[in-house]
Amino acid sequence: MASGRSKGAVVAPPVDPAAVDPEQPIPARPSPRAKDAPRTMKDLRLSHQNRKSSKAKPIENVLREGLRLERVPDPSILVLFGGTGDLAHRKVIPALYQLWRTNLLPHEFMMLAIGRRPYDDESFRRDIRASLDQFSRVLPIETDVWQSFAERITYQHLDFTDPAGFDGLATRLESIDEERGTRGNRLYYLATQPSQFAEIAGQLGRVGLDHELHDGGWRRIVIEKPFGHDSESARRLNREVGKVFRESQVYRIDHYLGKETVRNLLVFRFGNGIFEPLWNRRYVDNVQITVAESIGIENRGAFYEETGASRDVLQNHLLQLVSLVAMEPPARFEADALRDEKVKVLRAISNAPEDVTEGVVRGQYGPGWVAATQVPGYRTEPDVDPASETETFVAARLMIDDWRWSGVPFYVRTGKRLPKRATEIAIQYREVPHRLFKDEGVEPDANLLAIRIQPDEGIMLRFGAKVPGLGLDVRSVTMDFTYGSAFSVDSPDAYETLILDALQGDASLFTRADEVEEAWSIVDPIIESWADGPAPDFPNYDAGSWGPAAADELLAREGRRWRRI
Amino acid sequence: MAVESPPTIGEPVLRWSARAHSIGEIENELARIWSSQDLSTDMDGQPGRHIAARTSVMNLVVVARRPELAERSAATIQALTGRHPSRTIVIQSADPDGPSWLDARVEAHCVLPREDAPETCAETIHITCGGEAGHHLAAIATPLIVHDLPVTVWWPGEPPLRTRAAQDLLGTADRLVVDGSSWSGDGLDKLRDMASLQDSGRLAISDFALVRQSRWREAIASIFDDPDFLPYLRSLRRIAVTYGTHDETGAPGSTNLVKPIYHVGWLASRLGLSVTKPLAPVAGQGTAASGARGTRAGSRPAAPGRPIMGRGLVATLSDGRSEVAVVARPVVSVMPAGTTLRVELLAERRGSELRADVTAEAETVHVRVWQDGVEAWDRRFRAPRRTEVDLLAEAIESGRRDPVAVGALRSAAALVGPGGGRA
Repeated sequence: MASGRSKGAVVAPPVDPAAVDPEQPIPARPSPRAKDAPRTMKDLRLSHQNRKSSKAKPIENVLREGLRLERVPDPSILVLFGGTGDLAHRKVIPALYQLWRTNLLPHEFMMLAIGRRPYDDESFRRDIRASLDQFSRVLPIETDVWQSFAERITYQHLDFTDPAGFDGLATRLESIDEERGTRGNRLYYLATQPSQFAEIAGQLGRVGLDHELHDGGWRRIVIEKPFGHDSESARRLNREVGKVFRESQVYRIDHYLGKETVRNLLVFRFGNGIFEPLWNRRYVDNVQITVAESIGIENRGAFYEETGASRDVLQNHLLQLVSLVAMEPPARFEADALRDEKVKVLRAISNAPEDVTEGVVRGQYGPGWVAATQVPGYRTEPDVDPASETETFVAARLMIDDWRWSGVPFYVRTGKRLPKRATEIAIQYREVPHRLFKDEGVEPDANLLAIRIQPDEGIMLRFGAKVPGLGLDVRSVTMDFTYGSAFSVDSPDAYETLILDALQGDASLFTRADEVEEAWSIVDPIIESWADGPAPDFPNYDAGSWGPAAADELLAREGRRWRRI
Repeated sequence: MAVESPPTIGEPVLRWSARAHSIGEIENELARIWSSQDLSTDMDGQPGRHIAARTSVMNLVVVARRPELAERSAATIQALTGRHPSRTIVIQSADPDGPSWLDARVEAHCVLPREDAPETCAETIHITCGGEAGHHLAAIATPLIVHDLPVTVWWPGEPPLRTRAAQDLLGTADRLVVDGSSWSGDGLDKLRDMASLQDSGRLAISDFALVRQSRWREAIASIFDDPDFLPYLRSLRRIAVTYGTHDETGAPGSTNLVKPIYHVGWLASRLGLSVTKPLAPVAGQGTAASGARGTRAGSRPAAPGRPIMGRGLVATLSDGRSEVAVVARPVVSVMPAGTTLRVELLAERRGSELRADVTAEAETVHVRVWQDGVEAWDRRFRAPRRTEVDLLAEAIESGRRDPVAVGALRSAAALVGPGGGRA
């Protein structure tokens, strides 16, 4: 800010200690004004005009206006910890390839993959190529594109527990900066076991790789979920990462937030005038959010035994969807404004004991049939305790105690080995106040707005219409928008969206530390109540069904039922 | 009639073709396409892959005055069938002095986007009009437009923007798509006409010439993302654009100048610079009237008053406090005539100088910056050449008016000035 003050500018009067002491009586007369203080509106306007002329205008890069979609991230290195792992090969590297293919990565881009296996650059690239042939969203791989992409991939062997290895990493990154013009900009992507997050962050800090440079070299770190396994561990992880990186440098990925339909939820709510007025307790009867998976635990028995559906999906994906549906409009479309509103929703979710004990249902699948295939029960899956009490299904009735949603239940459910893979948000509107057509055949269902996240991403609105004919029969019909039919352009994979956002420094779709901790504060009491109670009667639902009967009763006792998906 | 073909993922397949000789017959054929059960195809001997009629995105009217333009446009649109299902009306004129007639081919092309999805289809109506009928474009297109859907007019070649026929048609349109870099001559008169059209109504305009420069704009804007360089942005003193020409003499109208002028127009509009002196020949250079060096043997003689552009054109912009010199300079090049080869910016601030040099390379845009003579920045931006399919897709995906395009065109037209760049 310019320090010069123009003639006639407002001068603050000297501070009178009595004026700021609340114990003192209010003075009968206002404090004496400075000699040249403005007295009338005209004085004030003139003094402001004088001030304006002496102020330096805030400088903006006006050439950026209107170019947002074309913006390419800064030259940078993506340092991929866990570069030989499943997540890297299935998701992260295919996303990078696709970004490169569509010219969304900078020319001066490098990916340094870090792993424990003894690869050299060539053998690592061969493995990457094989993975791309299998997992790339767009096939076949284009030879020219692959060659230019491969030139930007390099590998470093590193044991995460070896401090000397991180010293070597710092040297290697500096030399890449020099050779490839990546300018000290680094995105550390932790695609490793969660138990290694704190160790890696600590080592990066020890060798100074967290320090952002004065000449613009940024440092960011991406962490994959799960962010802890309860409130305490989440706080500990946040603390450990926070010792090294500022919160603005930390990007916690919940890949659901990068899905096109989830992002569209914000556009749908806040970019249309006709829905938001109906988005409250006055018109909405209940909200149902389903994250259903038809697959089982896919050889991840050991992992799943320690997590279960509550930690794996409820704490993150489901609560993120709840907060996006229930949040107030943010003042601005920017990271912290969005996340502030989401946190408010999480804080407003009731965790009263009766809501926790009576409003939550857990289940575990037994053997059954899914998609015409016989599948085993959870307890007979590999690496699973034959007497396991881990839940593979959870349904909850969440109450949001705020002005907008008071009294409107949010029913959420997620489970493994359900009949189909489907993620959906259903806004169930109230019945009409007066049933005008009740004597005319079938009464139409109440209006419903369904937002399908996967598969067949789209939005469906159900309403009543008159059946053609001489009578006055009313039937429910739907207006159906599917992404596939309105936009034939493929939606980007969530990882493409999120990696590009992280490279561009846009944290809107990433989870903030307080969001993570608030979400755990909702899930923790549920898990504790189960731990305090008797052993569950598992398995309690057949693979291929929609979960335990108690999940239906959760709604039935309030005269509702789950929407058929 | 229905056409049976096996679907191939991503490949448009002709599913319906019929002929018509009046607007009424065309409307009847359009109705028949979607009421016909023949559009379902057999899958493994079972009837019924559902084919979705897709006319819900937009209307695309293509005015192709020449048969080769019509063919090229049709191929481009067909490549977009799966991506932008629209009712496409391709209008071509023939024998303008003969009797009025109309011949139309109504087609439905379908694309299988993926194995588990229904085919999606779009209608294309190819209309050839003879005689007086061919002059009334709006009267042909308007009855065939799907109501309540946006109308985009793609006018490849030379749109006669001042004619009544063009203005009537564009009066019903939401967007005009052109390629200013393909216009004959220097293209500056049409650029000015197009700006008038833009300012006289709500028509949005997409010019491929401007869209192609998006990576240049990104590259130039990125310079001033650097906080050390940002203060210079409001202190520009000179903008120089070098473009390729095939004409060593620089005869007037020999090289299309739309792309070079758009660069300056964009910068001027973003920086709020007004034109104080429109484009004029470089000082000391003669005009055709004065008989200075100019046309080579066999080339078109220069019209009186037109500049010889061998050394380029100059203009002056102003931000109200100081002036910004503009130079558009031709260089003989093997690149297509009118291609931008280099954009140079010079800024001076408190005795310090910033010079930026943005050049086109094979598939990149190369940016270098010197601060007080010391190289301070060097970066490349990937900028592969985009096809007409990509450009048309981007143009029709645009929603409302793009403020960047509006400003660039308006400022470019102001640069051209009333004399069409030949003041």
